[in-house]
Amino acid sequence: MSKYMIDKFMRAVEMSDAAVDAYVADTAGFVEAWETASGGTDRPTDDRTLTAEERAAFIARDFEALYVLGAHPYLLWHFTEAIFTHEFTDTFGWRDLVERYRAAVTPYGVPDYIA
Amino acid sequence: MAKLVMAAVTPHNPLLWRAMREPLPDDLRGVAANFALIRDTITELGVDVIIEVGTDHIRQFFGDNQPAFLVGKAESYHGTYENEVRTFGMEYSEITGHRELADLIAGRDVLTEAIDFAVSHEWRLDHGFTIPLHYLTPNFDIPIVPINVNSTLPPLPSPRRFAALGEHLRDTVERWDSDARVAILTSGHMATDVGGPKQFAGSPDPVFDAEAVAWMRDGDLEGAIHGCRYERIIEAGNITYQYVNALTALAAMGGVPADLAEATESRFASSPFFMWKAPV
Repeated sequence: MSKYMIDKFMRAVEMSDAAVDAYVADTAGFVEAWETASGGTDRPTDDRTLTAEERAAFIARDFEALYVLGAHPYLLWHFTEAIFTHEFTDTFGWRDLVERYRAAVTPYGVPDYIA
Repeated sequence: MAKLVMAAVTPHNPLLWRAMREPLPDDLRGVAANFALIRDTITELGVDVIIEVGTDHIRQFFGDNQPAFLVGKAESYHGTYENEVRTFGMEYSEITGHRELADLIAGRDVLTEAIDFAVSHEWRLDHGFTIPLHYLTPNFDIPIVPINVNSTLPPLPSPRRFAALGEHLRDTVERWDSDARVAILTSGHMATDVGGPKQFAGSPDPVFDAEAVAWMRDGDLEGAIHGCRYERIIEAGNITYQYVNALTALAAMGGVPADLAEATESRFASSPFFMWKAPV
């Protein structure tokens, strides 16, 4: 379930402005809260377990590590975009983030991301 | 009987929504012109209803429930999500559905022999559906039947299944007791890599793009099916499989050469523009 949980976490953050803001404001706190959240009895499962490596990568906002761990590339890029856009300045913008991301993941080729 | 009057394939790249503004950047003039050509053709042919074949980008349909083929049976659809407004500056939209045709396509009592469709009465459309409509029917004044095809999360339907979908759509329109004039609109990509090593730097695989245009230009459905095997597609970029959506349009038009077949270059990646007009 591991790659699936990485994707599930990224999707949960990226799909919501409030979640993006909360994750950026208190990254470790958000990860802990997400893992301990209860979905209620009307859900088929409530599995939100990350491995130690995955948890550390999310707390560090380390997209390179998540790529190697098998994050779905499409979700990973949009997750990365969502959580770093607020850091854009006059001298560091979208195209710079694209280049930084590409340089980080290129050495790893295309990992197996099929959950 | 209803008539299938045209089919078209367009890009749905949401970055266009930010970048393709007046004054038009030089690299996006070709993209804007091709959208305008298809928009004018829809008007010229008097299209009454659009069957829109597209791919949800892991928004409504995630790994907890991912149908291979799904027909929208809602009376209306809300367009786009909070994250797409944030990231791409997109606009919310309301789009009318077409329940009668949706029932015919999916099967009302028993599933069709062609495809095991899922159905949805409650579906929020993402940019894979709304971007083409923003450019082609900007007033959202033509009802749609949206069909989600899974081109994103493996295991993926094979290319031959996309062709079967197109043939089924043509057959359904031809036996629909209506005087409606129907268009099939699909959206997808040429070679495209998002979140991988080759993203947003022009086409990651111009050789694939050239072959993929030729299949449409020549009406080579079997060549397209063979050329779109999974291993070749992934080599061309991690979300290139959405090109296979175009096979539905080619098959729906009987595998004949397209009137328009172009991979329009831009700063992002090459954009697919294919169009067929049915003989009068």
